[in-house]
Amino acid sequence: MPGTPYPKEQMHRIAYTKLSERQIADKLSAVIASGPRSASPLADVFAGKTIRIVTDKGPALSYAFGRNNRLSVAENGGAALEAGYGALTLGSVAFFSHMIPGTQRGYALVIDQDKNLATVFELWFSGYEDNREVQREIYYGYFDQPGQEAPKARHVTTNRVEGKGFYWKQDTGAETLEFFPSASYSNFVELSRLGGELGFCAPSDYIKINDDLFIYTRTECEFSGTFTAYVMDLNRVEQVGVRLGFDASDALEYYVFRGKGEWLGQLAQFEKFGDENGAPVPAAPAGQTPAKGARRVYRPLKTMAKMSKADVDAAVAKRATAFPSAPAGVVPNGPGAQMGANRGPSTSWLAGKSFTLRYDTAPAMEYRVDDAENLNWRKEGDSGWTKARYQAWESAPGVILYGHLLEGAPNHDGHSIVADFHQGLVTCFNGYLNTPYFANEAGVKIMFGVIEMEGLIPPKYNRHQFTDEMVGRAVSQNYAPGLTSMHLYTTPHSLSWIIFTDADAGGLEWSGPAAYVKIRDGLFFMYWLEEACNGTLGTILVNLHTMRDVGVGYSCGTNGLSMSAVGAHERLAGRFDITRFYQAKTSGGAA
Amino acid sequence: MTNDANSTRRSFLKSGALLAVPLVPAVVVADDGLKARLARLEDEAAIRELHQDWLRRVNTRVDDTTEAGDATASLYADPEGVAFDQAVRSIAADHTGKPDAIELAADRKSAAGRFHCAVEIDTAIAQDCTLARMAHAQGGGFVRRTERRVLKVEYVKDSGAWAIAKVEFASV
Repeated sequence: MPGTPYPKEQMHRIAYTKLSERQIADKLSAVIASGPRSASPLADVFAGKTIRIVTDKGPALSYAFGRNNRLSVAENGGAALEAGYGALTLGSVAFFSHMIPGTQRGYALVIDQDKNLATVFELWFSGYEDNREVQREIYYGYFDQPGQEAPKARHVTTNRVEGKGFYWKQDTGAETLEFFPSASYSNFVELSRLGGELGFCAPSDYIKINDDLFIYTRTECEFSGTFTAYVMDLNRVEQVGVRLGFDASDALEYYVFRGKGEWLGQLAQFEKFGDENGAPVPAAPAGQTPAKGARRVYRPLKTMAKMSKADVDAAVAKRATAFPSAPAGVVPNGPGAQMGANRGPSTSWLAGKSFTLRYDTAPAMEYRVDDAENLNWRKEGDSGWTKARYQAWESAPGVILYGHLLEGAPNHDGHSIVADFHQGLVTCFNGYLNTPYFANEAGVKIMFGVIEMEGLIPPKYNRHQFTDEMVGRAVSQNYAPGLTSMHLYTTPHSLSWIIFTDADAGGLEWSGPAAYVKIRDGLFFMYWLEEACNGTLGTILVNLHTMRDVGVGYSCGTNGLSMSAVGAHERLAGRFDITRFYQAKTSGGAA
Repeated sequence: MTNDANSTRRSFLKSGALLAVPLVPAVVVADDGLKARLARLEDEAAIRELHQDWLRRVNTRVDDTTEAGDATASLYADPEGVAFDQAVRSIAADHTGKPDAIELAADRKSAAGRFHCAVEIDTAIAQDCTLARMAHAQGGGFVRRTERRVLKVEYVKDSGAWAIAKVEFASV
């Protein structure tokens, strides 16, 4: 049987083993003497040398490098310990990593030989409630040259990498797309490991060596906890780095790597000109001193409500609301209300009309619309009508987006519908609950079809289509005063959302499965699922002509089921050239 | 490692001991009128110093969990009794408004201050969706605006030291 490039479970669905400290120590003991593996020849730039690294607020590290990738290291004047190491160079920068014998700690160091500067990453396991998640602390310093004055400059955190995107191919064969739409998070698509279906997000560090060379890190929090760090040359698009962690099979990954890539584009930055602050998200609340290794990490799976089918049924029976009323210009109360603060005026276009939405793969839905906020629906063949509250927006002439809950549906369905009355076409994102992982997590069925209505002749074969026209684009959305995010359409099947800080830097970021349907030129209907992250189904109709989106959010929590309006003012933020990476090749498999 | 955004920067209403004490006169004043005038000037100076100290702590967002937070609480006559607008982020003098005014009571045991100022106010965004929750998680999630206000402060003197009894923001 030929294989596929896809994993049995995507990263956000893998139940990673809660490794004990003992298990981790045992696995690390196997590599302390050998050092990290490398598919490329290791550099002997340090062989036979002794160097001393001095950091500003961290350790002083004295190294004596032997042959065959062996070193001895003394921390802060302590006893020298022997370990294996792996070093690679990129121009004048040397990168090496080793573990500390008898501990779950190690180091990755970037040595800037031009300026005698060093950036030191102390790495350790068992520092968080999930032992396998690698923790890191960054120290800036220099390497001590006898007889030379210590340099005053340091490598610095920066937002200069923000907005960039690269394709990388490591010497291990691993291929990734890596996007940096935030100054504190990043987004990566595992093309070879996972087939490139979805993009995922991780807290990241960005450090400037010089205008060409930068250091990047990510820790795959909420997933395997694996740490990756590399130095990249933005012009040559080359990298050297290290990967440390445990994979989905709990096998230790500890290797240094070399890679080459392609520059994919540059997204807009929204900070004020001159702002190059590399720490837009403070590691600790104002007035508090961050603990060693502290950083803000978004942990949606940890914090989301996890409900059973019985919990969901009870919660929905207790409360199910759609589009709560509020005076014009006032944000209604309720789940998701902030997402609709900048919605445009709703339309009464459907009021008084009767029509049928005939879906290709689902029962036809018949409608009799009373007024601008109340309709009656039934599935074709049923006798009784069900009343539902709805709201509708005319995003473009004749294109109506509306949504309603389907009271009585066993899985508490909700429909978010785009009906193009000029073309006679309809697309419905059918949200539902009682999904396999958490019953309150929304799932979605996508239904294409036509509109049947007096005076309207629908097409026989034409339908709305999935599209990759949005893939690679970034679009910012201002949903409400103070609530601005940016979508990055990372793959044909996922998107990520980036939350801006007060300084309009990209901050926390997360992602979910998604799909994009082309309604008309410049008009795209899309959804995203907040899987393992609050469980919401978000649907929006993006109008690139008006740069406004309208949509419907569908979510269930302990307070019940909710359908609410979504609406934002948008700005285009650029585009990565990435659709070519998602084309199936005639030889089979993903790119 | 996660740090949750749960700052309690405006809940620094705790007990303490540091109060504004009038300056000790450096000269001997023979005349009673002059003595009284000097005493009033000293009270006013002590109140201004107290006010500046309070402003500094508000504007530097002193955390109540720290020693400095305890010191801030000590500026209040009754830390539990002074309600302070949690949304105020900073206060700056409004030089387009009227001059600062401090009125001492005849018995010099209480005083009222009126300070025209520009108040920066944070209004928290309801955490009713993923984006808002993420905004709060990164230390944001506020809508900020600046308004011209009159800061009305009541002071009391206890055991020879001035303390803040009440803080109120009024419309201009």
